[in-house]
Amino acid sequence: MSTILKVILDKIKAKNPKHYEKLVAHLEGYGTDYENLANSFFNKYNEYLERNQKSIDFGVDCYLHMIEDMLEERFKFIREGKYSNSSFDDVEKRIYGNPEIMTYHMHGLVLAQFLWFDQYERILFFIENINKYAKGGKKYLEIGGGHGLYMNEAVNLLTNIEKFDLVDISQSSLDLAQGIINTNQVNYFLKNIFDFRESETYDFITMGEVLEHVEEPLNLLNKINQLLNKDGVCYITTPINAPMIDHIYLFHNETEIRDMLNQAGFEIIEERIVISEKITEKQAAKFKVPVMYAAFIKKQ
Amino acid sequence: MEREQILKDINAIFIDILDNEDIVLTNETTAADVDGWDSLTHIQLVVAFENHFGIRFTTMEIQGWENVGAIVACISSKC
Ligand SMILES: C[S@@+](CC[C@H](N)C(=O)[O-])C[C@H]1O[C@@H](n2cnc3c(N)ncnc32)[C@H](O)[C@@H]1O
Repeated sequence: MSTILKVILDKIKAKNPKHYEKLVAHLEGYGTDYENLANSFFNKYNEYLERNQKSIDFGVDCYLHMIEDMLEERFKFIREGKYSNSSFDDVEKRIYGNPEIMTYHMHGLVLAQFLWFDQYERILFFIENINKYAKGGKKYLEIGGGHGLYMNEAVNLLTNIEKFDLVDISQSSLDLAQGIINTNQVNYFLKNIFDFRESETYDFITMGEVLEHVEEPLNLLNKINQLLNKDGVCYITTPINAPMIDHIYLFHNETEIRDMLNQAGFEIIEERIVISEKITEKQAAKFKVPVMYAAFIKKQ
Repeated sequence: MEREQILKDINAIFIDILDNEDIVLTNETTAADVDGWDSLTHIQLVVAFENHFGIRFTTMEIQGWENVGAIVACISSKC
């Protein structure tokens, strides 16, 4: 039987065989747990596409388009030693507020969640630990939910939560997340997180790959600190050396991330760090390869 | 610049970036022949060529070379 994962990989193989080879080499050894999780989310994604008179080819084309952008960004990054964006207002105008770019970019990211092993490790770390840290909680917030994978899993896994809120600055992201998750259990807010409610606090907050999208990440961490209950836990992820069309703040290594988390009044409970290529730490630093950093944190 | 000299110079850059003294390039060498020359290190190599020769490549160019000879020809057309 051909699964949706296989269909996606075959289509990538036909259009970009070199990239396909790299993906499958990286995914070698990931077994049925991986396949089940990937297929379950990709099936929901495919259903969403079909409800909108699109096919999985659309998703694959978006993904390949995103890969092209990434090459361009990486080229600039290695040349200049910095990300190509420095202004949030500029990224908001050009990308978050531009349905054409944001749509292909976010659909591309849907596939990346399982085609890239470091991204799979990121959701796996979340799934393996979320119950432990969110147990007893009632209110759950996700910041910059993007494609919706994390909210989708949270809704599936956390039966104790009474209120799921998702805030994102981009209408394109909200449309996609809402379409894939396809449940009325989640409240969606189109807002810059800095303008999001002051009065309410949450028992658990998830913020995946947003910290690098702002000019002053410390301010964003302070904002999370305000939104988090005294005993609350936050799942936060952010990449090192990962140029993308909408990335602004460059973390050079994990120490910089840890220091900033501490500075914002957080303590790291548990963390996972995965290099995005099968190379040593030393090579990753030399070639400035993206590294995935994820942690569960709480107030000091 | 003489193509022979360009080949020599990029050979030295390969040795430096890929950390391998044994690399000997010819015009026919392809990525498959050189350990560690992949899509990742390719960009590193290309930027080192740019800096060394004081030139700029386009993203199209760096994706199109089929062997070392094509790189040498491209560099030679720019300097
Ligand atoms: C790379 S995606 C992350 C998707 C998902 N959370 C994940 O972990 O893969 C970043 C998302 O954050 C949103 N975003 C960026 N800056 C934001 C801000 N200041 N406030 C709210 N959302 C923001 C973007 O619109 C986008 O949907």
